[in-house]
Amino acid sequence: MSENTNNSGEDFGARCSEQELSNRIFSVENDDEPINAAENAEIWLNDGHSTDDLDVLGDDLGTGNINDFFHRVDSDQVIYQPKKKRLKIIDNRYVMGDLLGEGAYGKVKEMLDSETLCRRAVKIFKERKLRRIPNGEQNVQKEISLLKKLCHKNIIRLIDEHRNPEKQKLYLILEFCVGSLQGLLDSAPGKKLPARQAHGYFTQLLDGLEYLHGARVVHKDIKPGNLLLTLEQVLKISDFGVAETIDLFAKDDTCYIGQGSPAFQPPEIANGAESFPGFKVDIWSSGVTLYNIMTGKYPFEGDNIYRLFENIGNGDFKIPDEIQDPLRNLLAGMLKKDPTERLSLRQIRQHPWLTRKPPPGDYVVSIPPLKNDQFHNMTVLPYLIEHYYHADEPCYDEDGNMTYSETEYVTERQLNAAAENQKRLEQVNGNSQSNQSSSSKRNRKKRPISCMTVRNLSMCKQS
Amino acid sequence: MPLFGKSQKGPAEVVKALKEAVNSLEKGEKKAEKAQEDVSKNLVLIKNMLYGTSESEPQTDIIVAQLAQELYNSNLLLLLIQNLNRIDFEGKKDVAQVFNNILRRQIGTRSPTVEYICTKPEILFTLMTGYEHQDIALNCGTMLRECARYEALAKIMLHSEDFYNFFRYVEVSTFDIASDAFSTFKELLTRHKIVCAEFLEANYDKVFSYYQRLLNSENYVTRRQSLKLLGELLLDRHNFSVMTRYISNPENLKLMMNMLKERSRNIQFEAFHVFKVFVANPNKPKPILDILLRNQEKLVEFLMKFHTDRAEDEQFNDEKAYLIRQIKELKPLPGH
Repeated sequence: MSENTNNSGEDFGARCSEQELSNRIFSVENDDEPINAAENAEIWLNDGHSTDDLDVLGDDLGTGNINDFFHRVDSDQVIYQPKKKRLKIIDNRYVMGDLLGEGAYGKVKEMLDSETLCRRAVKIFKERKLRRIPNGEQNVQKEISLLKKLCHKNIIRLIDEHRNPEKQKLYLILEFCVGSLQGLLDSAPGKKLPARQAHGYFTQLLDGLEYLHGARVVHKDIKPGNLLLTLEQVLKISDFGVAETIDLFAKDDTCYIGQGSPAFQPPEIANGAESFPGFKVDIWSSGVTLYNIMTGKYPFEGDNIYRLFENIGNGDFKIPDEIQDPLRNLLAGMLKKDPTERLSLRQIRQHPWLTRKPPPGDYVVSIPPLKNDQFHNMTVLPYLIEHYYHADEPCYDEDGNMTYSETEYVTERQLNAAAENQKRLEQVNGNSQSNQSSSSKRNRKKRPISCMTVRNLSMCKQS
Repeated sequence: MPLFGKSQKGPAEVVKALKEAVNSLEKGEKKAEKAQEDVSKNLVLIKNMLYGTSESEPQTDIIVAQLAQELYNSNLLLLLIQNLNRIDFEGKKDVAQVFNNILRRQIGTRSPTVEYICTKPEILFTLMTGYEHQDIALNCGTMLRECARYEALAKIMLHSEDFYNFFRYVEVSTFDIASDAFSTFKELLTRHKIVCAEFLEANYDKVFSYYQRLLNSENYVTRRQSLKLLGELLLDRHNFSVMTRYISNPENLKLMMNMLKERSRNIQFEAFHVFKVFVANPNKPKPILDILLRNQEKLVEFLMKFHTDRAEDEQFNDEKAYLIRQIKELKPLPGH
């Protein structure tokens, strides 16, 4: 632990020493059962704190009335805090934050690049789990090499990769996104989006697809779940696990394998065609995606995959009556059973529904909050604060009630101003008044800085 | 007229006043200063109608529609662009802002200004020649790139004779103008994939004879940028037939092999990405194969030592290994 930590520990102890000790309440790691005082003691001691904490404890206790200290805490007084945020740093560079999502392969977490201070997401693959998925390792490898080649605003960018052979984990560091189109739909009334918003996302999808197809990549798994969104409402096509690159010298875009999500597969794949034009697969699934985000429904459904594929294979579907032209016509064109009749990207771009921006609707669906935080604040910060400022200590106001004060940040400029102020006061009042001036300094330090907020950082207030 | 507060002039009056002012500015009459002032003042009025100010909202759709109609009828857009060099600094920026706003205007699925410019392509040609004049080049650049977003306008520009002037503009000695011209040039060649592919196919010989000059330019930046763009164009699936044509020409291969040996490592690296296409081609024409065979050993040796410090770049190393293998395995066509 750095010097910094020690200092803050001492500072902390000094401030705490004024507190009534009997009111101490312990933080407990994720344990739902009430625990007695003795266990508390163990947890306290095994908390992984530096010895500073123990010194502080010793100081506080004075001549070691340790038994009194523990006995006075009743179980109903124990307040359970969420799991402690242990700082984790990958590759000496990336600081882990909270969980963003979970999949078959592993987890996705937020992280902070400590060199560039950019917010990132990391996809964590457990090699053990990967081996159980058919073609799992192969697909991931393919995805990595593909992502490295691609560079476009509407394609998720791979920033870095890192392997940890001991833990058997693979980390893919990606651009930070706040959620997927699917997540947005799930939180939207009727599971559909207003036309204006859908139009915005769909044009971005077309931009991304045009780039992909130009780079000879067939995505094969376009669906709302694979279309991510950034805080700035930029759509990013992600998940290239089943994508295929057409050979540079291939005469056309013929593909032989279809592996995407069943409900988004075109009739030629549902009917088991031996080969099919690749780019038209993406057109079809973009059509299903557009149908889905505009109606909240799917054009083809089925109780099981056989029924589903039967329905898709027949190619008959209904567009709800509330969908009028030109959108109706566009969907029909994108969901043509015969891939040669299906619209091309250029035809879609020139379609009246695309060239005319729909008028703004009554509402806009916003990305659902993560853990009740609708602003999607960075989740890495609490880990850093926890690590460097020992924030797990509860604190108390004058009446001995536990408080969780909002985190307060102090800029260097404010510190300088405070120091200057103090100096001036000292000059004016002489040293006898220094007590007062130090409290004025404290007041200054407590001024919150509005650009960042962090829950749960407790500090001791001076009584 | 009230002393304070905005003028109540309608679109027709403002356009008329601006036109008169530009006309007298063009003639260079003795009251030039007064004309200059009138031009600036009326441009600001038009700009405020479209964008609003800190105090007022933009005008209603009806007023803007009237304004656009007046601009089309009076032919003022062309007049402004033709006299852009005579308008003062702020005025030039206002012209670009007004132009770009009017261009983006939509009625339903129609873009009336785009349709209007299609009937008056002189506007585009005048803008393109703007790169000849230092003091208006960048203003014209922003307007041109806004135009290039529309397929119909991009097509007119690509297929005009003036397009070939870009090969000159991207090399001018003023760096910011050359860069601006290059970004417009690139936009025109890459934005609308299918239009670009059709253009390149139809005008292959002419375009690539001009392009060759860029690749041989004295100017390092031009050489490097044009080589990079060439790689992007050839590797884009939309330009498939252009690529097959390009890689069948032995002259192009020779040029790339020479660029592989350029002093600049960046140029070497970009050249590698074009060179690899020649080698990877499964149906190499005889002249290409002959060159590669003649240099087989030297090439293998060269590639072995080529950018060996790029150990991090897996993709590059894979490609390099692939090329070395391909070249090693080259055999003369049967029957020779």
